[in-house]
Amino acid sequence: MDTLLIGIDTGGTFTDLVLCDTASGRYTYHKLPTSTGEPARAVLDGIAEILQLAGLPPSRVGFLVLGTTLGTNAVLEGKCARTGMITTRGFGDVLELARQRRPHTFNLDIAKPAPPASRERRIEVGGRIAHDGSEVEPLDEAQVRAAVKSLREQGAEAIAICMMHSYANPAHERRAAEIARAAWRGAYLCASSDVLPEFREFERFATTAINASLMPVMDRYLETFERGVSDQGIPVPPRVMQSNGGAVTPLAVRRVPVNTFFSGPAGGVVGCTGLGNEIGVRNQITFDMGGTSTDVCLIRDGQPAKKDQREMAGYPVRTRTIDLHTIGAGGGSIAWVDGGGLLKVGPMSAGAYPGPAAYGRGGTLPTVTDANVLLGRLSPRSLLGGRMAMHPDLARAAIDTALVPRLGVDTVRAAAGILEIINVNMMGAVRVISIEQGVDARDFTLVAFGGAGPLHAADVALDMGITRVLVPPRPGLLSALGLLHADVRGDFSQTCLIAATAGSLQTANAALGQLRARGDAWLAGEAHARARAERTWAADLRYVGQNSELSLPLPSGRVSRPGLRALVEAFHARHREFYGYDMPGQTVELVNLRLTVSVNRKAPPAERRRFGRGSVRDAIVERRAVWFPDTGYVDTPVMARDRLPRDARFSGPAIIEQMDTTTVVPPGTRVHNDRLGYLHLALPRGRGSSGG
Amino acid sequence: MPASRPRAPARAPAKTRPARGRAARPAPSTVVDPIEAEVMARHLLATSEEMAATLMRTAFSPNIKERGDCSTAIFDRHGEITALAHRIPMHLGSMVGAVAEILQRHRLEDIRPGDMFMANDPYNGGGTHLPDINVVAPVFVEDRVVAFVANIAHHADVGGMVPGSEAAVCNSIYQEGVRIPPVRIMTAGRLNRDLLDMVLLNSRTPDERVGDLQAQFAANVVGTRGVEMLFSRYGVERTERTIASYMDFTERRFAAAIRKLPRGRFVAEDSIDGDREGELARIRLRLEVGDGTLDFDFSGTDRQIRSSRNIPARAVLATIYTVAQSLLDPGIPANAGFYRTIRFRAPEGTVVNPVAPAAIGCRSVSCAVLGDVVAAALTQALPDKALAGSGPHHLFIFSGTDPRTGAYFVDYETLAGGMGARARRDGMDAVRVHASGASNLPIEALEHVYPLRVERYALRNGSAGAGRYRGGMGVVRDYRILADDIVVSLSSERQHVAARGLEGGGEGARGLFVYNPGQPDERQLPSAAADVPLPRGSVLRICTPGGAGYGPAAERDPAALALDRREARLDAD
Repeated sequence: MDTLLIGIDTGGTFTDLVLCDTASGRYTYHKLPTSTGEPARAVLDGIAEILQLAGLPPSRVGFLVLGTTLGTNAVLEGKCARTGMITTRGFGDVLELARQRRPHTFNLDIAKPAPPASRERRIEVGGRIAHDGSEVEPLDEAQVRAAVKSLREQGAEAIAICMMHSYANPAHERRAAEIARAAWRGAYLCASSDVLPEFREFERFATTAINASLMPVMDRYLETFERGVSDQGIPVPPRVMQSNGGAVTPLAVRRVPVNTFFSGPAGGVVGCTGLGNEIGVRNQITFDMGGTSTDVCLIRDGQPAKKDQREMAGYPVRTRTIDLHTIGAGGGSIAWVDGGGLLKVGPMSAGAYPGPAAYGRGGTLPTVTDANVLLGRLSPRSLLGGRMAMHPDLARAAIDTALVPRLGVDTVRAAAGILEIINVNMMGAVRVISIEQGVDARDFTLVAFGGAGPLHAADVALDMGITRVLVPPRPGLLSALGLLHADVRGDFSQTCLIAATAGSLQTANAALGQLRARGDAWLAGEAHARARAERTWAADLRYVGQNSELSLPLPSGRVSRPGLRALVEAFHARHREFYGYDMPGQTVELVNLRLTVSVNRKAPPAERRRFGRGSVRDAIVERRAVWFPDTGYVDTPVMARDRLPRDARFSGPAIIEQMDTTTVVPPGTRVHNDRLGYLHLALPRGRGSSGG
Repeated sequence: MPASRPRAPARAPAKTRPARGRAARPAPSTVVDPIEAEVMARHLLATSEEMAATLMRTAFSPNIKERGDCSTAIFDRHGEITALAHRIPMHLGSMVGAVAEILQRHRLEDIRPGDMFMANDPYNGGGTHLPDINVVAPVFVEDRVVAFVANIAHHADVGGMVPGSEAAVCNSIYQEGVRIPPVRIMTAGRLNRDLLDMVLLNSRTPDERVGDLQAQFAANVVGTRGVEMLFSRYGVERTERTIASYMDFTERRFAAAIRKLPRGRFVAEDSIDGDREGELARIRLRLEVGDGTLDFDFSGTDRQIRSSRNIPARAVLATIYTVAQSLLDPGIPANAGFYRTIRFRAPEGTVVNPVAPAAIGCRSVSCAVLGDVVAAALTQALPDKALAGSGPHHLFIFSGTDPRTGAYFVDYETLAGGMGARARRDGMDAVRVHASGASNLPIEALEHVYPLRVERYALRNGSAGAGRYRGGMGVVRDYRILADDIVVSLSSERQHVAARGLEGGGEGARGLFVYNPGQPDERQLPSAAADVPLPRGSVLRICTPGGAGYGPAAERDPAALALDRREARLDAD
C-alpha cells in the first residue's frame, strides 16, 4: 500500500505536520504558526506546503488525520455558539445548581462558571420519565414546539434536549428532537440520550449542552477543512483525532464534537503506543512537558489508560478520553517566594512572550527555564538549533532579584530549588496516574517528549525510583507523528443499573443488543473501514450501594448465565486487588455496559534515522559545568544527538542537544542509542524509594 | 473541651546531622531547607488526597460517595495537623485535637503498628457531632510512632431518637446516637469484631455502616504507606524537623496576612434559633486584631440551649479557621501552623462551647450563622473582602420502608442556600457556605434508591438580597412521597432571622418548609421538627434562604439588573 500519510497537530501556538511516504519510508516535517483568525486555512496551507516540500502529489495521499484543539479553545475562550436547552419541567436550573459546592472551598473570589445555556434560554416542558423508564406524564408536544420557536426567536444557534432519566427511556427526548427538527430545518441539536446515555443529570446535561454549543463551531470549521482537502486533489476524506485516541470521519465529529477535547495531546499518547509497539516497550508513563503545561498518561500492556470524565471550563464533560493528567506547570512556570518565605513554582507562566528572562525578550521573572540555563542544563548560548539566543546573565539577574534575598540562600541553591519543586510537581502528576490507580510506577518506562520532557525526565524518574527513561528521536514532534498511528475508534456506553444476577440476563442482553446497533450505525458512517472492525465489550460493576464502578472486560456482546457468574467473580477479585478487601455476600450491580468498535490500521514504516559515523567522542561538541542534585556542578560533555553513532553505549553525566529538545543524563546513568535512534537511559535505583 | 486552643508541646531544637538515604548535597547544610520543606509538604498533601480518593471510591452510603461528606488528614506524632485534604472544612474541627485525646487515654508505648482508633463523641475526642466517625491510625517507622493518619466520614445513621441521628429537636446528646470515645477498632491489624457489632446494632442501617467503615480502614492503609515512604526516604529526624519548620513557615505566612489588617477591636453578633419556634439564642463576638494574631472572644454569648443547635468548641474553631482563611489568605496550607495565629475564648456552657450532655447534632446549620458573625467582624477590618450574611443549607432526613424492596432506608440530605454578596461581586447562587461543603445527591441517583420523586429542583426566584451586588439565590425543591410510612426530620436556620446585608444591602429571603403547597391542606411546617409523617402522594417543599446584598440596590449596574429581570431571578416565587 504505497500511499502518503499525513498527520497534523494544531497546537495553541504552532501547527506541526508530518508526512510519511510509505513507499520510501521517508518522513517530511513542517511547522507553521497556528492562525487563530481562520483556523482551517492554516491547516490547509500546511498540507499544501508539506506536499510541496516533499515533492509528492496530493493524489497519493491515502490517510490524513487532524488533531485539533478547536473544541477545547472554543470552550475555554467562551466562543461557543449561543445555546438553548429544552428540559423537563422543574429542572431548568440543573446546570446552575451543579453539585451545590463552591468552585473553590476557600477562595470565594472564584465565581461559578457561566453555564453553556443561559437561564432565559433554558425552557421547561411537561412530561416525565421515572427512574425505571416508565412514563409518569406524557410529553407535552405543544410546549416543545413553542420552546423551539422561542429559542429560535431568541437567536439560539444550537439546542440541547435534556430530560430526566432519558438514559432509561429516551422516548421523550427522541420525540422532542423530531419535533424540533421538523420545526427548524437544519437546526444544530442533540439529545442527552444520544450524547451520553448515563445517569446523573447534572453531568449528562452539562456534557450535552457543551456538545450542542460546539456543533455550529465545529461544523463550520470542518466544512472548510473538508472542502479544502478535497479541492487540493486529496482523494480520501480526512479524519479527526478524538480524545479516545481513535480517528473518525468529520461526520462523526459533527454529531459529537465534545469527543474531540484532548484531541491534541491524545496524539502524543498514541505516538507513544505506536513507538512502544515498534521497539517493544509496552509499559510506559508518557511525560509530555511543554512551556506552560505537562501531560502524563499511563500505558499498560500497550493500552493507554482511559477516563470517562473531565472538567472543561468548570463543567464536567463525560466522554471517553485517554486518561491524560495535565498540570499547569512547564518550562515557563514562574518561581516566587510566598509570605511565609517558601519557594513556590507556578501556576503563573511567562508564556512565549515575554517568556523566561533568559530569552532576552523583556521577561524579568525567574522561570524553570532560567534555572536550567543557570545550572548549565540548557545551552547558555542558543536553543532551536541556533535560532534563538540565550542570555544566562538575565536568568541569573532574575533569580538574584526575585528569590535570593527572600530565601536567604545563594543563586545556585535557589535555582536548584526551582528544579526540585517543579520536579516534585511532576512527580505528583505521575503519582496520580500510577500509584493512585494502584500501579507501581517503578515497573514502567518514563517516555519523555515535548520541548522540556527530556530535560527533567531523569530527575523525576530518580525521585520516583523509576530506572528506565526513553527519549524518542523527535520528542518535539511526537504528537504529530502519533496521529499517523491512529486507529478508527468509537466508544459507546449504556446505563443499566440492574443486579448482576441470572434474573437480569434478559435486560442485560437487550442493552448489549442496543449497543451493538449503535456501534454498527456508527461504523456504517465510517465507510470503507467496515470489514475489519473489532468489538471490545466491557461492563462497569460495583457493590449495590457503592458509587464508583470497576470496569471489567466482557468476552462478547452476549452474556450467559455462567458468563455472568464469572464476571461477578472477576469483580470480587478486582475489588480485592484495588482496595484490599471484597464483600462476597454483597449483591453486585451492573451499572454500565460499554462497547468499543475499532478498526486497526497498519503501522507506518519506521523512519530511517541519521547516525554519526564516528565514535561517541566525535559527537561531543563542547564541555561545560552542569549541576546535578547529587553531585553539584560537574564538568560534562555536551553531545549533538544526530552525531551519536548507531547502537552506541556510554555513561552520564552528559547533555544531549538536538533542534527540538535537550536531554539531561545524570552521572551514573547508562545510555544506549539504539538502532532506531531511541535513547534508552538506565538510571541507578536512585533517591526514590517510591512506588508506594 | 478546654475553652482555649491546646498548644503544641515544645520541641527539641533542630539538629543538623545529615540524614541517611540521600547523597550529600552541594548546598550548605542549613538548619532546615525551605525547599525541602515544600517538597515534603506536597508529598503529605498528595498522600491525604490519595486517602480521600480511596475513601470515596469504596464507601457505600450515598452521603459519602456521592456527596463527599468525608475528610482526611495527616498528623505529626504530637497530634498537630500537618496536611489536610480539602473536602469539608467543618471536619477540620473533628481533626483538631483528635490525636491528643487518643494519647490522653492510651499510652504511646501501648500503641502497636496496625492499631486503629475509632471515635465520634464530641466531648471525648470524636467529631463535632455523632454521625461523624473518625478513624485514626499510627504510622510506625523504625519501631516508633512518627505520625498519625486519620479520616472522618459522615455516617447516615448512628442510632438515637431520630433516623439520621441529627435533628434540631434532640435535647441531649444521649438522644443523638451511640457515643464512642477513642477505642481500638483494629488491634495490630485485626478487626475488633465485638466492638464493631456493638456499633452496628445501634445503627438503623448497619450494612451501609460496615461498608463505610471498611472504606475508612482502607483509606488509612493507603495513608500509612504514603507517610512511611516519606520518613524512610529522608530519615525520621530530618523529616520531623522539616515538617515542624514547614508549620512555622505557615504560621509566619498567615501572621503576615494578619499584619496587613488595622489593629483594633471589632464586634459582631447574630442569632440562631432557640428551643421553641420564635425563640433566639444570641452569638456575640469581639474580635481583637493583634500583632499577627486574631483573638476571637465570644463572651456575652447566650447560655447553651436544650435543642441540638449548640456548637461544640471544635466546630467553632473549624468555622473560624475557614472564614479567616477565605477572607485573608485562601491559599494558606492547611496545617496547624496557621491555627497558631488564632486564639479562641468562649465561656463554658454557652451555645459556642456547650458542656455534656448538651445536644449538638445540628451544629453545621448553626455554624453557618456563626460563620456570618465571624465574617461580619473580619469584614470591618477588611472592607475590600467584605462578605454579607449568607443563607445556610437546610437539613432533612427521610426514613421509612421502600415498597420496591421492603427495606428500611434513611435518606440524609442537605439543600444549599445562597452565599452573601461581596464588596465587589454578587454572592454565589446555590452553594454551601462557610465551613459546610457537601455536594447534593443527583436526583437520578436519589430516585433509584429511595421511594421519592423530585418534581422541582430550581434556583429560588426572589430569594437573593438586593444590593449593588446581590446575594446568592437559595434553592427550592419539591419531593413527592411514594411510600406509605415515610417520616421526615427537619432542621434549619434563618427561617426566623434573615441574612443581614452590608452597607445598605438588602436581607436575603428566609427559608421555609411547606407541606402540600398549592393544595387545600397546604401548611407551613416548623423550622425544626422530628418524625413528621408524610402520607403517600403528599409533597414536601423546601425553600432555602438566600444570601444578603451589599450596597444600596439603587446603585446596581443597570445591565446586571436587566439580566436578572430577564432571567426572572427577581420574580416572586
